[in-house]
Amino acid sequence: MTARSPEGAALERTIRLDSATVRLGDTLALDDVTVAIDASRVAVVGANGSGKSTFARLLAGLVSPTSGSVRVHGLDPTRQAAQLRKLVSMVFSNPDAQIIMPTVAEDAAFSLRSERLPHAESAERVAEALDRFGLTELADRAAHDLSGGQKQLLALCGAFIRRPQLVIADEPTAYLDARNARRVAEHLFEDAGHRLVLLTHDLRLAERCDLAVLFDAGRIAAVGAPSDVIAEYEASLRW
Amino acid sequence: MVTLYRPGDGWMHRAPAGPKATVLLAVVLAVSFLPSTWWAAGVAAAVAVLGYLICGLGLRELGRQVLAVRWVIVITLGGQLIFLDAEPAVANTARVLAAILLAGMLVLTTRVAALLDAFERGLRPFERLGVDAQRIALLLAVTINTVPVLARLATGVREAQRARGARAGIVGFVVPFLVVSLKHADDLGDALTARGVR
Repeated sequence: MTARSPEGAALERTIRLDSATVRLGDTLALDDVTVAIDASRVAVVGANGSGKSTFARLLAGLVSPTSGSVRVHGLDPTRQAAQLRKLVSMVFSNPDAQIIMPTVAEDAAFSLRSERLPHAESAERVAEALDRFGLTELADRAAHDLSGGQKQLLALCGAFIRRPQLVIADEPTAYLDARNARRVAEHLFEDAGHRLVLLTHDLRLAERCDLAVLFDAGRIAAVGAPSDVIAEYEASLRW
Repeated sequence: MVTLYRPGDGWMHRAPAGPKATVLLAVVLAVSFLPSTWWAAGVAAAVAVLGYLICGLGLRELGRQVLAVRWVIVITLGGQLIFLDAEPAVANTARVLAAILLAGMLVLTTRVAALLDAFERGLRPFERLGVDAQRIALLLAVTINTVPVLARLATGVREAQRARGARAGIVGFVVPFLVVSLKHADDLGDALTARGVR
């Protein structure tokens, strides 16, 4: 899989942080992190407050590094934010905060507004995406009246409808029951030509990735095969 | 709480949002300028009833909308009856009610996305004066959609307080409600950015 810019030019597909530090007020959220990631499916694990979400937000351009540099597919998320957002979609853990429009179909279509597509093409993309995520029957329903699982599927629909090259998912199954968590995971892992950075506390999901990164106190404690990194993480949890 | 839009395929639903909004605005203005007389009250009520019947929403929907604004009716009518005779008080209330109901026809028959596009198109000529049409239209959509979210957050705060044995009070409610609302605004900002909004 070769990453391409929206104009079609081939991009470097590495996620690269070089001495990246993020300070949020008095908190050192990321502390001098250096890493280069090429894998297609990357699990990010670690305790609450370990820096996982800040790492994800840094990749999505939602926060800027206080010092150091970040490159996502060759782009600087701060300086080339507009280009990056055409390549990257992010899914958050709380599905309620991701609903922008009143109905399911309108919310899915909202993600395409910035692309200014012809109406017919936009409608076709929406119908295709709703079908893919099993939301066609709910197209006219009020998005806020959906169940938690349906809302998260809608959030995924809103993310995938943009045909992103990189999907960053920040604990996307955290609020879901087992059945819905499985459905969401299957969509994230299906081969749709996207690259996945998955922040999760579900270590079985982390094991399905090609690479795992363990965060601890704002630093990367381990990078490697998921089984090795998970073993190290579990060892650190023993009292 | 649900979206205001009622799915349908009548002519009012199919009409383009921009011209529909313009025509409804003209009718609302016409009703607003009726005199304060008994016959004007009848005309205002008749226009609203006819509007709901002609556009296919029906009397049931009209009843639902009247019920939703019952406190507006009570306050408007009650307030005026203190200072005015029955005729102008009833006529004024009927005009206000008809205007609200007619304006409601726009959101009941138009998807927010279509309204968003119409507002954006309508505001585009003002872009030369520095008006950001896209941002204003988005603000409108987000505002409409945030109402049910705030209602849910308020319920959550009240339930959390009850679960912890706290007594109901405005001060005890406002502070946590503000905190969760601001947190939601933060999250929504991130979601908008992540979905390609500048």
